[in-house]
Amino acid sequence: MSTSIARLLVSLQLSDSAFPSGFYTMSHGLEGFRQAGLVQPGKAGALLEDLLVASIGPGDATALARAHNAAERREWDAVADLDHVLFASKLNAELRVASTRSGRQLIDIAAETFAGAQGGADIAEWAARVKAKQSPGCQPVATAVCYAAMGVPVAEAVASDLFAFCVSFAGAALRLRLTDHRGAQVMLREIQPIIEVVTADAVVRPAADIGGFAPNADIASAAHERAEARLFTS
Amino acid sequence: MSDNVLRVGIGGPVGTGKTALTEALVPLFIAAGRTPGVITNDIYTQEDAHHVRRELAGILDPEKVIGVETGACPHTAVRDDPTMNLAAGEEMLERFPEIDTLIYESGGDNLTLTFSPALADVFVFVLDTSNGEKMPRKRGPGITESDILVINKIDIAQYVRTDLEIMERDAHAVRDGKPVVLTNSLDGTGLQELFDRILAHWAATQPELVA
Repeated sequence: MSTSIARLLVSLQLSDSAFPSGFYTMSHGLEGFRQAGLVQPGKAGALLEDLLVASIGPGDATALARAHNAAERREWDAVADLDHVLFASKLNAELRVASTRSGRQLIDIAAETFAGAQGGADIAEWAARVKAKQSPGCQPVATAVCYAAMGVPVAEAVASDLFAFCVSFAGAALRLRLTDHRGAQVMLREIQPIIEVVTADAVVRPAADIGGFAPNADIASAAHERAEARLFTS
Repeated sequence: MSDNVLRVGIGGPVGTGKTALTEALVPLFIAAGRTPGVITNDIYTQEDAHHVRRELAGILDPEKVIGVETGACPHTAVRDDPTMNLAAGEEMLERFPEIDTLIYESGGDNLTLTFSPALADVFVFVLDTSNGEKMPRKRGPGITESDILVINKIDIAQYVRTDLEIMERDAHAVRDGKPVVLTNSLDGTGLQELFDRILAHWAATQPELVA
Protein backbone atom coordinates (compact mmCIF):
# COMPACT_ATOMS: atom_id res chain seq x y z
CA MET A 1 0.00 0.00 0.00
CA SER A 2 1.47 3.33 -1.01
CA THR A 3 1.81 6.14 1.52
CA SER A 4 0.02 9.45 1.25
CA ILE A 5 3.33 11.12 0.46
CA ALA A 6 3.98 8.59 -2.30
CA ARG A 7 0.56 9.27 -3.78
CA LEU A 8 1.11 13.03 -3.54
CA LEU A 9 4.38 12.66 -5.41
CA VAL A 10 2.67 10.65 -8.16
CA SER A 11 0.07 13.36 -8.63
CA LEU A 12 2.72 16.08 -8.59
CA GLN A 13 4.60 14.25 -11.33
CA LEU A 14 1.55 13.58 -13.51
CA SER A 15 0.14 17.10 -13.17
CA ASP A 16 3.50 18.84 -13.60
CA SER A 17 3.60 21.08 -16.66
CA ALA A 18 6.95 19.39 -17.39
CA PHE A 19 5.24 16.00 -17.79
CA PRO A 20 5.28 15.37 -21.55
CA SER A 21 1.55 15.38 -22.20
CA GLY A 22 1.59 17.98 -24.95
CA PHE A 23 -0.57 20.29 -22.82
CA TYR A 24 1.54 23.33 -23.68
CA THR A 25 0.36 23.06 -27.32
CA MET A 26 -3.28 23.47 -26.24
CA SER A 27 -5.15 26.62 -25.28
CA HIS A 28 -8.36 24.70 -24.46
CA GLY A 29 -10.47 27.05 -26.54
CA LEU A 30 -8.86 30.25 -25.30
CA GLU A 31 -7.18 31.13 -28.61
CA GLY A 32 -10.52 30.74 -30.40
CA PHE A 33 -12.16 33.14 -27.94
CA ARG A 34 -9.22 35.52 -28.34
CA GLN A 35 -9.48 35.45 -32.12
CA ALA A 36 -13.21 36.13 -31.93
CA GLY A 37 -12.60 39.08 -29.59
CA LEU A 38 -14.70 37.43 -26.88
CA VAL A 39 -12.10 37.58 -24.13
CA GLN A 40 -10.15 40.63 -23.06
CA PRO A 41 -6.83 40.98 -21.24
CA GLY A 42 -7.31 40.36 -17.53
CA LYS A 43 -10.56 38.46 -18.06
CA ALA A 44 -9.32 34.97 -18.90
CA GLY A 45 -9.96 33.76 -15.35
CA ALA A 46 -13.71 34.24 -15.72
CA LEU A 47 -13.67 32.21 -18.93
CA LEU A 48 -11.64 29.50 -17.20
CA GLU A 49 -14.27 29.26 -14.47
CA ASP A 50 -17.06 28.94 -17.02
CA LEU A 51 -15.18 26.28 -18.97
CA LEU A 52 -14.54 24.25 -15.83
CA VAL A 53 -18.15 24.40 -14.68
CA ALA A 54 -19.92 23.96 -18.03
CA SER A 55 -17.51 21.92 -20.13
CA ILE A 56 -14.47 20.34 -18.52
CA GLY A 57 -16.17 19.34 -15.26
CA PRO A 58 -19.10 17.49 -16.86
CA GLY A 59 -16.87 16.18 -19.67
CA ASP A 60 -13.22 15.40 -19.01
CA ALA A 61 -13.37 15.42 -15.20
CA THR A 62 -16.44 13.20 -15.00
CA ALA A 63 -14.99 10.75 -17.51
CA LEU A 64 -11.82 10.72 -15.44
CA ALA A 65 -13.75 9.93 -12.27
CA ARG A 66 -15.78 7.12 -13.80
CA ALA A 67 -12.76 5.67 -15.63
CA HIS A 68 -10.83 5.78 -12.35
CA ASN A 69 -13.56 3.67 -10.70
CA ALA A 70 -13.53 1.18 -13.55
CA ALA A 71 -9.73 1.00 -13.69
CA GLU A 72 -9.56 0.31 -9.94
CA ARG A 73 -11.70 -2.76 -10.64
CA ARG A 74 -9.62 -3.54 -13.76
CA GLU A 75 -12.80 -3.48 -15.85
CA TRP A 76 -11.00 -2.53 -19.03
CA ASP A 77 -14.00 -2.88 -21.31
CA ALA A 78 -15.85 -0.38 -19.11
CA VAL A 79 -12.87 1.99 -19.28
CA ALA A 80 -13.00 1.68 -23.08
CA ASP A 81 -16.73 2.44 -23.11
CA LEU A 82 -16.12 5.62 -21.12
CA ASP A 83 -13.28 6.54 -23.44
CA HIS A 84 -15.61 6.19 -26.44
CA VAL A 85 -18.32 8.28 -24.76
CA LEU A 86 -15.89 11.08 -23.91
CA PHE A 87 -14.46 10.99 -27.44
CA ALA A 88 -17.97 11.27 -28.89
CA SER A 89 -18.84 14.16 -26.58
CA LYS A 90 -16.06 16.30 -28.05
CA LEU A 91 -17.85 18.02 -30.91
CA ASN A 92 -14.89 19.52 -32.73
CA ALA A 93 -12.17 17.56 -34.49
CA GLU A 94 -9.40 19.67 -32.97
CA LEU A 95 -10.54 18.77 -29.47
CA ARG A 96 -10.66 15.06 -30.30
CA VAL A 97 -7.25 15.16 -31.97
CA ALA A 98 -5.62 17.12 -29.13
CA SER A 99 -7.06 14.83 -26.47
CA THR A 100 -6.16 11.56 -28.17
CA ARG A 101 -2.70 12.65 -29.31
CA SER A 102 -1.97 13.64 -25.73
CA GLY A 103 -3.57 10.57 -24.15
CA ARG A 104 -1.94 8.04 -26.46
CA GLN A 105 1.51 9.48 -25.89
CA LEU A 106 1.15 9.97 -22.16
CA ILE A 107 -0.07 6.43 -21.46
CA ASP A 108 2.87 5.12 -23.48
CA ILE A 109 5.30 7.24 -21.45
CA ALA A 110 3.58 6.35 -18.17
CA ALA A 111 3.86 2.64 -18.97
CA GLU A 112 7.63 3.07 -19.10
CA THR A 113 7.78 5.55 -16.22
CA PHE A 114 5.84 3.34 -13.80
CA ALA A 115 7.10 -0.02 -15.05
CA GLY A 116 7.99 -2.20 -12.09
CA ALA A 117 5.93 -0.14 -9.64
CA GLN A 118 2.90 -1.67 -7.96
CA GLY A 119 0.10 -0.96 -10.40
CA GLY A 120 2.50 -0.53 -13.29
CA ALA A 121 1.01 -3.59 -15.01
CA ASP A 122 -2.40 -1.90 -15.09
CA ILE A 123 -0.94 1.12 -16.88
CA ALA A 124 0.80 -1.21 -19.32
CA GLU A 125 -2.51 -3.02 -19.91
CA TRP A 126 -4.31 0.20 -20.87
CA ALA A 127 -1.34 1.36 -22.94
CA ALA A 128 -1.46 -1.89 -24.92
CA ARG A 129 -5.19 -1.55 -25.57
CA VAL A 130 -4.79 2.04 -26.74
CA LYS A 131 -1.82 1.12 -28.92
CA ALA A 132 -3.91 -1.67 -30.47
CA LYS A 133 -6.57 0.95 -31.28
CA GLN A 134 -9.17 -0.78 -29.14
CA SER A 135 -9.99 2.60 -27.61
CA PRO A 136 -9.50 6.22 -28.72
CA GLY A 137 -7.08 7.04 -25.90
CA CYS A 138 -8.49 10.34 -24.62
CA GLN A 139 -6.17 12.10 -22.19
CA PRO A 140 -8.48 12.18 -19.11
CA VAL A 141 -9.13 8.43 -19.36
CA ALA A 142 -5.44 7.62 -19.82
CA THR A 143 -4.68 9.83 -16.83
CA ALA A 144 -7.43 8.14 -14.80
CA VAL A 145 -5.83 4.75 -15.40
CA CYS A 146 -2.47 6.08 -14.20
CA TYR A 147 -3.89 7.59 -11.03
CA ALA A 148 -5.99 4.53 -10.22
CA ALA A 149 -3.07 2.20 -10.82
CA MET A 150 -0.81 4.20 -8.53
CA GLY A 151 -3.39 4.33 -5.74
CA VAL A 152 -4.25 8.04 -5.96
CA PRO A 153 -7.90 8.36 -4.78
CA VAL A 154 -10.50 9.53 -7.27
CA ALA A 155 -11.11 13.04 -5.87
CA GLU A 156 -7.40 13.78 -5.68
CA ALA A 157 -6.97 12.44 -9.20
CA VAL A 158 -9.75 14.67 -10.57
CA ALA A 159 -8.51 17.77 -8.72
CA SER A 160 -4.95 17.11 -9.79
CA ASP A 161 -5.86 16.80 -13.48
CA LEU A 162 -8.11 19.88 -13.29
CA PHE A 163 -5.21 21.83 -11.83
CA ALA A 164 -2.96 20.64 -14.67
CA PHE A 165 -5.62 21.87 -17.07
CA CYS A 166 -5.73 25.26 -15.35
CA VAL A 167 -1.95 25.62 -15.40
CA SER A 168 -2.00 24.85 -19.11
CA PHE A 169 -4.82 27.35 -19.67
CA ALA A 170 -2.97 30.04 -17.68
CA GLY A 171 0.17 29.37 -19.72
CA ALA A 172 -1.81 29.82 -22.91
CA ALA A 173 -3.30 33.07 -21.54
CA LEU A 174 0.23 34.29 -20.87
CA ARG A 175 1.40 33.50 -24.40
CA LEU A 176 -1.76 35.05 -25.87
CA ARG A 177 -1.01 38.23 -23.90
CA LEU A 178 -4.21 37.95 -21.89
CA THR A 179 -2.30 38.01 -18.60
CA ASP A 180 1.24 38.26 -17.25
CA HIS A 181 3.27 36.03 -14.94
CA ARG A 182 1.78 37.62 -11.82
CA GLY A 183 -1.77 37.61 -13.11
CA ALA A 184 -1.41 33.95 -14.07
CA GLN A 185 -0.62 33.01 -10.47
CA VAL A 186 -3.55 35.05 -9.16
CA MET A 187 -5.77 33.27 -11.70
CA LEU A 188 -4.52 29.87 -10.51
CA ARG A 189 -5.17 30.77 -6.87
CA GLU A 190 -8.62 32.19 -7.54
CA ILE A 191 -9.67 29.11 -9.50
CA GLN A 192 -8.90 26.70 -6.66
CA PRO A 193 -12.29 26.97 -4.89
CA ILE A 194 -13.92 26.34 -8.28
CA ILE A 195 -11.76 23.27 -8.77
CA GLU A 196 -13.00 21.99 -5.42
CA VAL A 197 -16.65 22.37 -6.43
CA VAL A 198 -16.13 20.96 -9.92
CA THR A 199 -14.26 18.00 -8.45
CA ALA A 200 -17.02 17.25 -5.95
CA ASP A 201 -19.60 17.32 -8.73
CA ALA A 202 -17.54 15.17 -11.09
CA VAL A 203 -16.91 12.49 -8.48
CA VAL A 204 -20.65 11.81 -8.09
CA ARG A 205 -21.89 12.55 -11.62
CA PRO A 206 -23.05 9.39 -13.42
CA ALA A 207 -21.42 8.19 -16.62
CA ALA A 208 -24.70 8.79 -18.47
CA ASP A 209 -24.24 12.53 -17.91
CA ILE A 210 -20.74 12.77 -19.39
CA GLY A 211 -20.45 15.76 -21.71
CA GLY A 212 -20.64 19.47 -21.12
CA PHE A 213 -22.81 22.14 -22.65
CA ALA A 214 -20.81 25.18 -23.73
CA PRO A 215 -22.03 26.18 -27.19
CA ASN A 216 -19.95 29.34 -27.36
CA ALA A 217 -16.84 27.31 -26.64
CA ASP A 218 -17.77 24.79 -29.32
CA ILE A 219 -18.39 27.55 -31.87
CA ALA A 220 -15.10 29.28 -30.99
CA SER A 221 -13.32 25.96 -31.32
CA ALA A 222 -14.98 25.25 -34.66
CA ALA A 223 -13.78 28.59 -35.98
CA HIS A 224 -10.33 28.03 -34.49
CA GLU A 225 -9.75 24.68 -36.14
CA ARG A 226 -10.20 26.30 -39.54
CA ALA A 227 -8.37 29.54 -38.73
CA GLU A 228 -5.48 30.31 -41.04
CA ALA A 229 -3.32 31.61 -38.20
CA ARG A 230 -3.07 29.89 -34.86
CA LEU A 231 -0.47 29.11 -32.23
CA PHE A 232 -2.29 26.31 -30.45
CA THR A 233 -3.75 22.93 -31.37
CA SER A 234 -6.99 23.77 -29.60
CA MET B 1 6.78 3.78 -34.65
CA SER B 2 8.73 1.64 -37.05
CA ASP B 3 12.38 1.44 -36.11
CA ASN B 4 13.43 1.46 -39.73
CA VAL B 5 12.03 4.87 -40.56
CA LEU B 6 14.65 7.56 -41.03
CA ARG B 7 13.61 10.65 -39.09
CA VAL B 8 15.41 13.87 -39.97
CA GLY B 9 15.02 16.96 -37.78
CA ILE B 10 15.70 20.31 -39.42
CA GLY B 11 15.97 23.22 -37.00
CA GLY B 12 17.43 26.68 -36.86
CA PRO B 13 16.53 30.35 -36.54
CA VAL B 14 13.57 31.83 -38.37
CA GLY B 15 14.24 32.67 -42.01
CA THR B 16 17.40 30.63 -42.55
CA GLY B 17 15.80 28.54 -45.29
CA LYS B 18 14.64 25.43 -43.45
CA THR B 19 11.53 25.17 -45.59
CA ALA B 20 13.44 25.65 -48.85
CA LEU B 21 15.96 23.07 -47.71
CA THR B 22 13.17 20.63 -46.87
CA GLU B 23 11.63 21.19 -50.29
CA ALA B 24 15.00 20.61 -51.95
CA LEU B 25 15.73 17.42 -49.99
CA VAL B 26 12.42 15.70 -50.75
CA PRO B 27 13.19 15.11 -54.46
CA LEU B 28 16.62 13.74 -53.51
CA PHE B 29 15.05 11.23 -51.14
CA ILE B 30 12.55 10.23 -53.82
CA ALA B 31 15.32 9.87 -56.43
CA ALA B 32 17.16 7.59 -54.00
CA GLY B 33 14.11 5.34 -53.85
CA ARG B 34 12.87 6.51 -50.47
CA THR B 35 9.32 7.61 -49.63
CA PRO B 36 9.27 10.80 -47.56
CA GLY B 37 6.64 12.55 -45.50
CA VAL B 38 7.01 16.06 -44.08
CA ILE B 39 5.85 17.41 -40.70
CA THR B 40 6.19 21.16 -40.28
CA ASN B 41 6.03 22.88 -36.90
CA ASP B 42 4.31 26.11 -37.60
CA ILE B 43 4.84 28.92 -35.14
CA TYR B 44 1.75 30.83 -36.00
CA THR B 45 0.15 29.57 -39.17
CA GLN B 46 -0.02 26.70 -41.57
CA GLU B 47 2.19 28.77 -43.85
CA ASP B 48 5.10 26.34 -43.96
CA ALA B 49 2.88 23.34 -44.62
CA HIS B 50 1.06 25.23 -47.38
CA HIS B 51 4.38 26.31 -48.88
CA VAL B 52 5.78 22.79 -48.95
CA ARG B 53 2.59 21.42 -50.52
CA ARG B 54 2.62 24.15 -53.15
CA GLU B 55 6.30 23.86 -54.03
CA LEU B 56 6.22 20.07 -54.18
CA ALA B 57 2.95 19.78 -56.12
CA GLY B 58 3.28 16.81 -58.45
CA ILE B 59 6.30 15.53 -56.52
CA LEU B 60 4.88 14.81 -53.07
CA ASP B 61 1.29 13.93 -52.22
CA PRO B 62 -0.06 16.99 -50.32
CA GLU B 63 -1.57 14.60 -47.78
CA LYS B 64 1.97 13.62 -46.82
CA VAL B 65 2.63 17.13 -45.53
CA ILE B 66 1.12 18.06 -42.19
CA GLY B 67 1.53 21.05 -39.89
CA VAL B 68 1.69 20.76 -36.12
CA GLU B 69 0.99 23.71 -33.84
CA THR B 70 3.50 24.23 -31.07
CA GLY B 71 1.70 26.55 -28.66
CA ALA B 72 4.30 29.26 -29.25
CA CYS B 73 7.02 26.91 -27.97
CA PRO B 74 8.86 25.53 -31.02
CA HIS B 75 11.86 24.42 -29.00
CA THR B 76 9.64 22.51 -26.55
CA ALA B 77 7.86 20.77 -29.41
CA VAL B 78 11.03 19.15 -30.70
CA ARG B 79 13.03 18.77 -27.50
CA ASP B 80 11.40 18.84 -24.04
CA ASP B 81 8.00 17.44 -24.96
CA PRO B 82 7.83 16.10 -28.53
CA THR B 83 4.46 14.47 -27.77
CA MET B 84 2.49 16.12 -30.56
CA ASN B 85 5.20 15.58 -33.15
CA LEU B 86 5.58 11.92 -32.21
CA ALA B 87 1.81 11.50 -32.43
CA ALA B 88 1.68 13.24 -35.81
CA GLY B 89 4.49 11.01 -37.07
CA GLU B 90 2.73 7.87 -35.89
CA GLU B 91 -0.51 8.96 -37.55
CA MET B 92 1.35 9.67 -40.79
CA LEU B 93 2.93 6.20 -40.78
CA GLU B 94 -0.38 4.53 -39.98
CA ARG B 95 -2.02 6.33 -42.87
CA PHE B 96 0.86 5.87 -45.30
CA PRO B 97 2.73 2.70 -44.31
CA GLU B 98 4.99 3.10 -47.34
CA ILE B 99 6.65 6.18 -45.83
CA ASP B 100 10.20 5.36 -44.75
CA THR B 101 11.51 8.89 -44.23
CA LEU B 102 10.00 11.56 -41.98
CA ILE B 103 11.32 15.10 -42.21
CA TYR B 104 10.48 17.21 -39.17
CA GLU B 105 10.94 20.91 -39.83
CA SER B 106 11.01 22.90 -36.62
CA GLY B 107 9.11 26.14 -36.21
CA GLY B 108 12.22 28.24 -36.16
CA ASP B 109 13.85 29.30 -32.94
CA ASN B 110 17.09 30.52 -31.47
CA LEU B 111 20.54 28.97 -31.27
CA THR B 112 19.66 26.85 -28.25
CA LEU B 113 17.22 24.65 -30.15
CA THR B 114 18.07 20.97 -30.26
CA PHE B 115 16.07 17.94 -31.39
CA SER B 116 15.18 15.18 -28.96
CA PRO B 117 16.87 11.92 -29.95
CA ALA B 118 13.43 10.39 -29.40
CA LEU B 119 12.11 12.43 -32.32
CA ALA B 120 14.96 12.64 -34.85
CA ASP B 121 17.71 10.23 -35.82
CA VAL B 122 19.62 12.97 -37.61
CA PHE B 123 19.59 16.57 -36.34
CA VAL B 124 20.38 19.19 -38.97
CA PHE B 125 20.81 22.79 -37.79
CA VAL B 126 20.51 25.53 -40.40
CA LEU B 127 22.16 28.95 -40.33
CA ASP B 128 22.42 31.29 -43.25
CA THR B 129 25.02 33.83 -44.18
CA SER B 130 22.71 36.75 -43.40
CA ASN B 131 22.64 35.69 -39.72
CA GLY B 132 26.08 37.27 -39.62
CA GLU B 133 29.62 36.02 -39.89
CA LYS B 134 29.90 35.94 -36.09
CA MET B 135 27.07 33.43 -35.64
CA PRO B 136 29.17 30.25 -35.30
CA ARG B 137 31.31 31.97 -32.68
CA LYS B 138 28.19 32.49 -30.56
CA ARG B 139 28.03 28.70 -30.31
CA GLY B 140 24.78 27.56 -28.73
CA PRO B 141 23.73 23.90 -28.62
CA GLY B 142 22.18 23.98 -32.09
CA ILE B 143 25.45 25.04 -33.66
CA THR B 144 27.77 22.90 -31.58
CA GLU B 145 25.66 19.76 -30.97
CA SER B 146 23.78 19.22 -34.21
CA ASP B 147 24.78 16.19 -36.27
CA ILE B 148 25.16 18.37 -39.37
CA LEU B 149 25.47 22.15 -39.47
CA VAL B 150 24.27 23.81 -42.66
CA ILE B 151 25.28 27.32 -43.68
CA ASN B 152 22.65 28.21 -46.25
CA LYS B 153 22.23 31.09 -48.71
CA ILE B 154 25.93 31.17 -49.53
CA ASP B 155 25.09 33.17 -52.67
CA ILE B 156 24.11 36.26 -50.69
CA ALA B 157 27.13 36.34 -48.35
CA GLN B 158 28.72 39.10 -50.44
CA TYR B 159 25.67 41.31 -49.96
CA VAL B 160 25.42 40.94 -46.18
CA ARG B 161 29.07 41.59 -45.31
CA THR B 162 29.74 37.99 -44.39
CA ASP B 163 33.11 36.45 -45.15
CA LEU B 164 32.04 32.88 -45.89
CA GLU B 165 35.53 31.49 -45.35
CA ILE B 166 35.63 32.91 -41.81
CA MET B 167 32.10 31.72 -41.05
CA GLU B 168 32.92 28.19 -42.25
CA ARG B 169 36.27 28.17 -40.41
CA ASP B 170 34.66 29.24 -37.14
CA ALA B 171 31.87 26.70 -37.57
CA HIS B 172 34.40 23.89 -37.87
CA ALA B 173 36.31 25.29 -34.89
CA VAL B 174 33.34 24.93 -32.51
CA ARG B 175 32.05 21.56 -33.77
CA ASP B 176 34.76 19.14 -32.80
CA GLY B 177 35.02 17.53 -36.21
CA LYS B 178 31.29 17.20 -36.91
CA PRO B 179 30.30 18.13 -40.48
CA VAL B 180 29.52 21.58 -41.82
CA VAL B 181 27.82 21.82 -45.23
CA LEU B 182 27.53 24.99 -47.32
CA THR B 183 24.35 25.18 -49.37
CA ASN B 184 22.29 27.24 -51.72
CA SER B 185 18.90 25.56 -51.68
CA LEU B 186 17.71 27.47 -54.72
CA ASP B 187 20.45 26.41 -57.18
CA GLY B 188 21.20 23.07 -55.51
CA THR B 189 24.72 23.78 -54.32
CA GLY B 190 25.70 21.45 -51.48
CA LEU B 191 22.41 19.58 -51.37
CA GLN B 192 23.77 16.24 -52.57
CA GLU B 193 26.54 16.47 -49.96
CA LEU B 194 23.94 17.23 -47.28
CA PHE B 195 21.79 14.30 -48.42
CA ASP B 196 24.79 11.95 -48.39
CA ARG B 197 25.82 13.12 -44.94
CA ILE B 198 22.29 12.59 -43.57
CA LEU B 199 22.27 9.00 -44.79
CA ALA B 200 25.86 8.46 -43.64
CA HIS B 201 25.06 9.69 -40.14
CA TRP B 202 22.00 7.45 -39.98
CA ALA B 203 24.01 4.48 -41.20
CA ALA B 204 26.72 5.13 -38.63
CA THR B 205 24.28 5.37 -35.73
CA GLN B 206 21.97 2.52 -36.70
CA PRO B 207 24.16 0.16 -38.76
CA GLU B 208 22.14 -2.93 -37.99
CA LEU B 209 18.93 -1.35 -39.25
CA VAL B 210 20.26 0.22 -42.42
CA ALA B 211 22.14 -2.88 -43.42
